Amino acid sequence: MKLSLKDIAEPVLFFLALLVVWEVLVKFARVPSFILPPPKDLYHAFTAKFFILGHHSLITFAEAVGGFALSLVLGVAFAIAVVYSRHLHNTIYPLIVILYAMPKSAFAPLMVIWIGYGLFSKIAIAFLVAFFPIVVNTVVGLKEVEPELIDLARINRGSAWGVFKKIRLPNALPYLFAGVKVALVLSVTGAIVAEFVAANEGLGYLVLQANYSLDTAFALVILLILALLSLLLFAVVEMLQRKWIPWSAEVRQIEGSF
Amino acid sequence: MAPLIAVEEVDKTFESGAHGVRALDRVSFDIEEGSFVSLVGPSGCGKSTLLKIISGLIPASRGAVRVGGRLVDGPLANVGMVFQAPVLLKWRTVAENVMLPVEFAGRNPRDYEDKARSLLALVGLEDFYDEAPYRLSGGMQQRVSLCRALVTDPGILLMDEPFGALDAMTREELDLELLRIWGEKKMTVVFVTHNIQEAVLLSDTVVVMSARPGRVLERLPIALERPRTIEMTSGAEFGRYGLVIRAMLGRSAANPPVKLSA
Ligand SMILES: Nc1ncnc2c1ncn2[C@@H]1O[C@H](COP(=O)(O)OP(=O)(O)O)[C@@H](O)[C@H]1O
Ligand SMILES: [Mg+2]
Repeated sequence: MKLSLKDIAEPVLFFLALLVVWEVLVKFARVPSFILPPPKDLYHAFTAKFFILGHHSLITFAEAVGGFALSLVLGVAFAIAVVYSRHLHNTIYPLIVILYAMPKSAFAPLMVIWIGYGLFSKIAIAFLVAFFPIVVNTVVGLKEVEPELIDLARINRGSAWGVFKKIRLPNALPYLFAGVKVALVLSVTGAIVAEFVAANEGLGYLVLQANYSLDTAFALVILLILALLSLLLFAVVEMLQRKWIPWSAEVRQIEGSF
Repeated sequence: MAPLIAVEEVDKTFESGAHGVRALDRVSFDIEEGSFVSLVGPSGCGKSTLLKIISGLIPASRGAVRVGGRLVDGPLANVGMVFQAPVLLKWRTVAENVMLPVEFAGRNPRDYEDKARSLLALVGLEDFYDEAPYRLSGGMQQRVSLCRALVTDPGILLMDEPFGALDAMTREELDLELLRIWGEKKMTVVFVTHNIQEAVLLSDTVVVMSARPGRVLERLPIALERPRTIEMTSGAEFGRYGLVIRAMLGRSAANPPVKLSA
């Protein structure tokens, strides 16, 4: 799809109008600023606390990306193990499904007991929430292979390793990317929730501090930064997907045009 | 001369659910080396199953298949397969797709580059060597799939409704192309279709099968001269073959065999 000038101007104008309406409404309705501050206050909070924000963003970013990276490595390995081992599929997989059904963020207080107060308990929660979408998507991608391709491999005496390397693994990549997109956003949420529970740095900690001091403008700025952080990660993944497996998007487009 | 492929009293029952599904009922026929044989029959009569048993991908419940006198008890080597869908790998170029069987067979792809090139040229795809398969039309994709089946020079080509998903015109084109390639390579072809016209146009022999469980109703030799042309399809002799097959299929549908008790 080609973006026209209108496609760019429309959202820009919309958001500008939203800001103006917000500013004007808050002024005329005399909404107290601890309930809803005007956009101007947000801007001031942002510029005044720019470096503090930067520091705590980096902490949260590190926790989220750390947890995500761990989930990617272990999730893919686990998915492969489950697909290839009946025993693991019969034993560990149900266990994982039970874990999946639990609210992962409720583990945050436990993680403090198990791992401690620092960075690693946050990474653990980020990992926990990101792990499942990676596993589930990779398992599906490894399994959903046209049976004819397996027949072809058997007829030509292909090895299990060959089938994995040449068919199953590449076939799983678009699914893996779908899982990665979900996992990244979740890992940011996981890091924040873990910081809510026990932390002395990070954006989750900062948002609580802003709340205690009724600094609503600052709290909203932090939320916006979190949104940007998630969008940034999402955009990076989109870019990598387009670069590494262009055929996954192309294929969807082609199928969509029929 | 002994036949290349001998299907002897093959029975197949799939054990699924409370009672099995009987797919094939004592199927027997021979296929001469270098001949073109079609299997026609209603959908679900066990044509794909029979093809898989011949290739050794699945075992028969009873009976046997012999190829070159040897009992088939596992996947045959020396077989090429074409399916109804092209099932090409999206992440590979056309040429790399053609190479897949070579790689699985553990042979050196270098030795087969010329081969792949000449096969693609044979089906008019020489300019699409490095193209992504999803950029090709359905007919072109199926041509690539045919090249992939032929790259290892198999003596037997098994085709399961290979052109069934294509429009009539593309199908006709590919039918003729297949005949041309078969004339050149002299392999034995077993071709599954539910299109009677296609079966008559292509085959030396049409094996007509009944509805499930599939039985052989008739082995009908097609005495039309070769090379076959599209003009022949409007001839009287061609029409008679079509009518005979249609009548056999109709009779079998009107008098279904006694059902096995559940
Ligand atoms: N793996 C399987 N398990 C159980 N039933 C099967 C299996 N494969 C095929 N069948 C059944 O066997 C019958 C013949 O199938 P198939 O050989 O695919 O027919 P055709 O190719 O002639 O349409 C069908 O009733 C089908 O449902
Ligand atoms: Mg079939």
